[in-house]
Amino acid sequence: MDLHSELLLEEYDSQLPLIERLEKVVEATLKDALDRNGIQITAVETRIKTRDSLAGKLALKGSKYQSLSDITDILGARVITFYTDDVDRIAAMAEKLFDIDWENSVDKRRLHDTDSFGYNSLHYICRLPKTVIDDPELNAIRFELQLRTTLQHAWASINHDIGYKTGVEIPREYLRRINRLAGILEMADDEFSRIRTEITDYRRRVQQLVQNGQLSEVQLDGDTFRSYLRARPFEALNRRIAALNQAEIQEVPLDNYLGVFIALGCKTLGDIEQLKKKCEENAYILARHQLGNTDLDIISSSVGIQNICIVWILTQGGGKIGLTRLFNALNGENEHNSLLADMTYEQAKGLAFMK
Amino acid sequence: MTTEIKENGNQLIALFSGRLDTAAAVQTAEDVKPLLEAQNKEIILECEALDYISSSGLRIFLSIRKEAAAHGSKVIVRNINSNIRQVFVMTGFISLFEIE
Repeated sequence: MDLHSELLLEEYDSQLPLIERLEKVVEATLKDALDRNGIQITAVETRIKTRDSLAGKLALKGSKYQSLSDITDILGARVITFYTDDVDRIAAMAEKLFDIDWENSVDKRRLHDTDSFGYNSLHYICRLPKTVIDDPELNAIRFELQLRTTLQHAWASINHDIGYKTGVEIPREYLRRINRLAGILEMADDEFSRIRTEITDYRRRVQQLVQNGQLSEVQLDGDTFRSYLRARPFEALNRRIAALNQAEIQEVPLDNYLGVFIALGCKTLGDIEQLKKKCEENAYILARHQLGNTDLDIISSSVGIQNICIVWILTQGGGKIGLTRLFNALNGENEHNSLLADMTYEQAKGLAFMK
Repeated sequence: MTTEIKENGNQLIALFSGRLDTAAAVQTAEDVKPLLEAQNKEIILECEALDYISSSGLRIFLSIRKEAAAHGSKVIVRNINSNIRQVFVMTGFISLFEIE
């Protein structure tokens, strides 16, 4: 190793504590900003180039660097995203967060010719501005920020592993196959982003339909049922029931009723709404009959929906078998559900809707 | 009304006996305190000898369930009689608990 490179390594040794401090600030700053912007990511990684790695780099092109500050990747940070759109969102975030050295930053995603595929990643060379931390020593050091998707990261990691492990030049045929994979993963990344956008649009449309009451146009599934529940369709009934004994209402998830409504033949949210309208009054009467002569002053928010289902089953002639199926769906199959069905049937049988 | 708490491996078993009504609730709430702090346990509320439960009793069961969820524990209500089972249905608590 030449003297110049040895001096750079000495500079590295003396600056290492400072770079370690910078690493902590950069990582915390990125995580905090991602959190504030509500961007979900796979990982934030940071690493400091090891002394051996730096020595290797200097052995290859040490004369290129006047001082350690010319080497911009001593500290590297990487944000790995789920979606390719998020790379751009985080890039915009980083542009506000850090001082970007545009001359040395590069968007490798845009470097490929139309007929080439390979390493895709956005590299920004950054400095911490005083707005993040007012520390002239830290503000002076440049670091590299890489932004890439999980699939780009997988390709780059495997490509690195294959390329560096063998120690021999890889034949063109294999390189071509590796780069073909980069093309496939680029398509997969775009497709994941499109799927996310379309699902978001679909959810917005469903929420709009729920808000507008156009429920008969909305197919019943997990997503649409959750949107429906967000409109709290059983709250008014629960409040009426709670008022019987001045009871408090304990909120519980109602997602498990999706399977019940499907089993009852509902195909759209409109079908559930129809069923609710038909049974709501009798569901209240059933609750009044059950709770009215007790001092139970706590109920769960599932009472209304549960009684609606009970009334629907009984008025459709489902009888004890239908109620057992309901309790099986809600509580899991066990021998007590038929007993529960018997007891519920006995309680309801004297009520007007059973005539 | 009595409440006895036993430990069996990873299980904490609360054996309830008598009528868990408003009058008994204060003492029962005190008796079940060890359950509220249990980390990553299976908490069994053994109700074979429990004759009756009031709203106050339901609230105690609910607080055990909430604390258990916060501490990575799981609650199973075991051997409730038919009257108590009916109370669980009428109040909607049946869908809150795993009942054996």
